[in-house]
Amino acid sequence: MSRIILSIVSAAMILCSCGNEHNPAASGAITDSLGSYSSRLVIEKITGATRITVRDPWQNAEGTAFCWYLVPRDSALPDGISEKQTIRVPVRRMICMSTTHAAMMRALDATDLIVGVSGPSLVYDSLLLERISNGIVRDVGYENNLNRELVISLEPDLLMAYGVADPSSGSTGRLTDSGVKVFYNADYLEQHPLARCEWLRLFGLLTGRERMADSIVSTVTGRYHELTGKVRSITGDRPGVLLGAPWEDVWYVSPGNSYIGQLVDDAGGNYIFSDLTAPHSVPFSVESVFRKAGKADIWINPGTADSLSEIATADHRLESLPLLRHGKVWNNRRRITPEGGNDYWESAVVRPDLLLMDFVSIIHPELLPGYDQTFYIRLQ
Amino acid sequence: MRERRVRNALLMPGLVLLAVILFIADLLLGSTRVEPSEIFTALFGNGDQGVEIIVMQFRLPKAVTALLAGAAMSVSGLMMQTLFRNPLAGPDILGVSSGAGLGVAVTLLTLTPLFTLSSESLLAGWGLILAAWTGAGAVMLIIMAVSARMRDIMTVLIVGILLASAISAVVSLLQYFSNEAMLKTYVIWTMGNLGNISYNQIRTLTLATAAGLFIAFLMVKPLNAMLMGETFSRTVGVEMQKTRVLVLASASILAGSVTAFCGPLAFIGVAVPHIARLLLGTTDHRILMPGTAVCGSAILLLSDIISNSPGGGHIIPVNSVTSLIGIPVVLWIILGKTGLGRRF
Repeated sequence: MSRIILSIVSAAMILCSCGNEHNPAASGAITDSLGSYSSRLVIEKITGATRITVRDPWQNAEGTAFCWYLVPRDSALPDGISEKQTIRVPVRRMICMSTTHAAMMRALDATDLIVGVSGPSLVYDSLLLERISNGIVRDVGYENNLNRELVISLEPDLLMAYGVADPSSGSTGRLTDSGVKVFYNADYLEQHPLARCEWLRLFGLLTGRERMADSIVSTVTGRYHELTGKVRSITGDRPGVLLGAPWEDVWYVSPGNSYIGQLVDDAGGNYIFSDLTAPHSVPFSVESVFRKAGKADIWINPGTADSLSEIATADHRLESLPLLRHGKVWNNRRRITPEGGNDYWESAVVRPDLLLMDFVSIIHPELLPGYDQTFYIRLQ
Repeated sequence: MRERRVRNALLMPGLVLLAVILFIADLLLGSTRVEPSEIFTALFGNGDQGVEIIVMQFRLPKAVTALLAGAAMSVSGLMMQTLFRNPLAGPDILGVSSGAGLGVAVTLLTLTPLFTLSSESLLAGWGLILAAWTGAGAVMLIIMAVSARMRDIMTVLIVGILLASAISAVVSLLQYFSNEAMLKTYVIWTMGNLGNISYNQIRTLTLATAAGLFIAFLMVKPLNAMLMGETFSRTVGVEMQKTRVLVLASASILAGSVTAFCGPLAFIGVAVPHIARLLLGTTDHRILMPGTAVCGSAILLLSDIISNSPGGGHIIPVNSVTSLIGIPVVLWIILGKTGLGRRF
């Protein structure tokens, strides 16, 4: 109930914040009811268009919201909506600045609409890699290295970006002045795995595959809940879980209310920092994490390590951790490319049900006997 | 004069005692709470295993590194200030720190993607240390070659500054074309770090520091003569070219090794020699050099204690602390309140 109230309050706040400039057809708007986990994406059907609002599109962006109107290609613009605020759908050419966006397109069989990506070395999807190597999909660069001339020459209907800070002064911000429609996607800031998956619905609306997207989201959500139901039925202890890895003297700790903290909780684990609440990772000393790690039974996501010895080489102090000595370490390195692509950042975002299965099979293997993990491997 | 000698005779043991107290405090005060009695038991190998690991693997190597790095960077800075007769000179003025940074940047930002190495395994293994050493050593050799040919020390200074600028341009270029993970690893390296150093690496750092300090202490008399000017030094029989090369070699070994193991430690090299001069009230290197070494150790130990003190398991980068101590000192010099600038 509280989640529904929160959604109504959030929608009301967004309507107010977008209202000053972009709210010509507020009356009669129907807020979409399928998405109930996302705290940043609001989809509303209005007469002749779909209004998309992205709330708090980057960290510490409280009170900021972007509004877009999705209008079918052959329809006239509804009254009061300018072409500048409009994205004509279905889009035919899209640039994806994150591999997560490309994964959402792949889930909807819409990879062929991608004309540009940022950092092809980070791509895992073989179809997209093939299109990159054939020159059909181009590398547009990133941040200050963004090739704006290439972006403009690709004539995209939309550039799907993600904001890490106020974009008005950045390279992507300046693209807007050149007439490129830049959409700031905030999926990576969502704190629930199902909330990230719900962003697939945006891609469905953009590509004219709304039903397909809704069907995937609904199936994935159902499977996720089914599994969390099984986990809740366990009566024994919840194994302690350590997450992440240090960088020199600092261990950036994901808070308990983060995406990964939620996954551990839903998989029946007891995250050793579950009490920590913060909007983003918090720097801790390695010493303090090390002391807490004594309570952990399982270690997940130790950076980019592919083996136990790699962890020990990176930080010799970690050799003393019983977790490492007993090899109770798992990392999301099952599906990777030699160049740096990792399907964990692609498919896992669209399929949190599979991700949760991996976590459950690590934390409570008795629930999924013989299960072969999709994204994770036990480090040797 | 006699009063000052008496004061220094008391001050020096006082400074050493202070460094010892800070060393013990660094062992006792970490980012997590451990009872002093548990620490002492752990030091003698019969305490709680968790506490023993915290003390032996975390706090003791960090405190030893702070002790060595503080002394090495400060003595290196002192020699640079005397050699260039410039109160704002420090180990980084020769481009040694930039050279080490270049070695790290080349390894992280170009070689790592080529050989698909993990940046984390490089970060703490010998890879980056060797890279930093190679970079610092290459710059040192260039500076020494210039120094051996040029009579005017200011030319060497200009070459050092130009080299540092050129290197920072190359590093910027490498950063521009690197990916986010590599960039993050490089940026974290530049923040400085005293913790993640193994006992094997400490052994190497100890040898390098001992070698650098040994040459530095041999240079005490020529450095004193240099304070009176090059002409005076020549008239009293100082072989300028040879002295310069040895001083540069010593300063580069000290600063290059510390930068290789701990990353660029800001301001220690510039600020500590001035603090030592203020405390000891002398420019005589026979007193000033050991005094600077002890002050450097004490200040870096103090910085480490502060960097671990925010509470709740949090820490702040040690470079932020050394800069916050160093900047007021440098401002003090610039504003000329202490008249230190007039001693060169």
